[in-house]
Amino acid sequence: MSPAETPQFATAIQNVLRSKQLQLLGILSGFAAGAWLGAAEAPTKLVSIGISPMVISLVMVMGVFLARWTLPALILGTSSVRADVRRAPHLIIWALLAGCLWAVANTLTIFAIRDIGLTIAFPLWNSNSLLGILWGFLFFNELRQAGWRRWTGVLGGALVMCAGAALLAVASSTSAPSAHSLRGVWAALGAGILWGTMYIPYRKAYLTGMNPLSFVTFFSFGELGMMSMLSVSSMGLNPLWQELLSARSVVFWLMLGGFVWVIGDVFQQYAAKYVGISRGIPLSNSNQLWGLLWGILVFGELHGRSSSVYVEVIGGSLLMMLGVAAIAFSSATGQEQTRWKEAAVRESDRYRVATDFVEARMDGRQVCGEAKPSRNRLDWLLVVAATSVFVIFAATARVPKMTLHWGPATLLTAVLFLFLVICGLSLWRITRFN
Amino acid sequence: MNAAEPDPKTRGWWTSIFSDIHFWVPVAVLMGGLLLLRFIR
Repeated sequence: MSPAETPQFATAIQNVLRSKQLQLLGILSGFAAGAWLGAAEAPTKLVSIGISPMVISLVMVMGVFLARWTLPALILGTSSVRADVRRAPHLIIWALLAGCLWAVANTLTIFAIRDIGLTIAFPLWNSNSLLGILWGFLFFNELRQAGWRRWTGVLGGALVMCAGAALLAVASSTSAPSAHSLRGVWAALGAGILWGTMYIPYRKAYLTGMNPLSFVTFFSFGELGMMSMLSVSSMGLNPLWQELLSARSVVFWLMLGGFVWVIGDVFQQYAAKYVGISRGIPLSNSNQLWGLLWGILVFGELHGRSSSVYVEVIGGSLLMMLGVAAIAFSSATGQEQTRWKEAAVRESDRYRVATDFVEARMDGRQVCGEAKPSRNRLDWLLVVAATSVFVIFAATARVPKMTLHWGPATLLTAVLFLFLVICGLSLWRITRFN
Repeated sequence: MNAAEPDPKTRGWWTSIFSDIHFWVPVAVLMGGLLLLRFIR
């Protein structure tokens, strides 16, 4: 028997193919995350001016919390979440922490936009991808032994995306900076640092085998808890309640934004799981490009602006696409993936999570003897209750009086669903959402 | 392993979290973010 015919050789080939398949899946998830996270801004654009940004943020987070109990609950029931928690209870703390980081970062962006405008603020907080690369390298062995070509692809791609983001932000800016520019710069930088650091818990969870859908569950608790605390401390309970009551006719649109955001975040979690945070964050940062497409094509935001603005938009978009392509073509080599596995072994040793379970989950499969995800009555009750809340607010929602371009809206929505179907089916076929 | 060092297997997961540098980095960043928010407001 030649070496190529031995069972060991066949297993090695299978492992390599599986690894490549998961890398492609992670990249596809990153693209889908960018499209869905960018589209999450669209429903919020339907909300007229006059509502406090803090209330807008709080209602969106409520939508995120409720949305967790609709579509994702159908994929992974509460029994699977409980099983994940039994195996790695410490991950609840990590997910709550990530949710708190998101809420504070999101609030800081409100102040940043108010004080320095989107032009300066966006590129500053978009630097979170560079911080993600640093944390991934320092803490999780990402890009170790990756070779200069992959380093150039990932770091160069992230930098090119930052430059593209800056151009897009300049083009989409409409407001002039206010007098508190230094304060705004600090707020934007702070948001970037918080969002970049939020991916430490993300990666930590996936190196210890937690399912992204379980992570999102506890993440949404942390997010809602922190956002509620920030809103109450900032506005006071009674004024906040009054403003929520006065905004009830638009609550649905904001919650719909939260719903779309959750789907984007779930894809982002799978990207962080299968390609790491150093590649996953820049890929999902392409959401700015999608947000701009919705703004220009559906809401006619740049209508009547000078040709130089359109040059900036096209240039910025091309740069972002170039950066995304550079990162997408810099998937991890076998040597780098060995270093990821070393980091996973370190985590399973520290938190005493069974090594075979961690290995199986990193490989996107179930461990031998693990019960298949199933739905029980509680899951269906939660799905019905959460969906009913959406339906009730949809029934009382006021349709805004504004000009919308329905053709591009339909096309972009179709692209979104195409991503959902292709990426969702791929995740199901290859990993069964494990 | 040093004989005076507690066996990792006997430590609770709270101890594992609190002795993990990866935990304190996001906590420190969160605290910094809250302070920054307070300063800005």
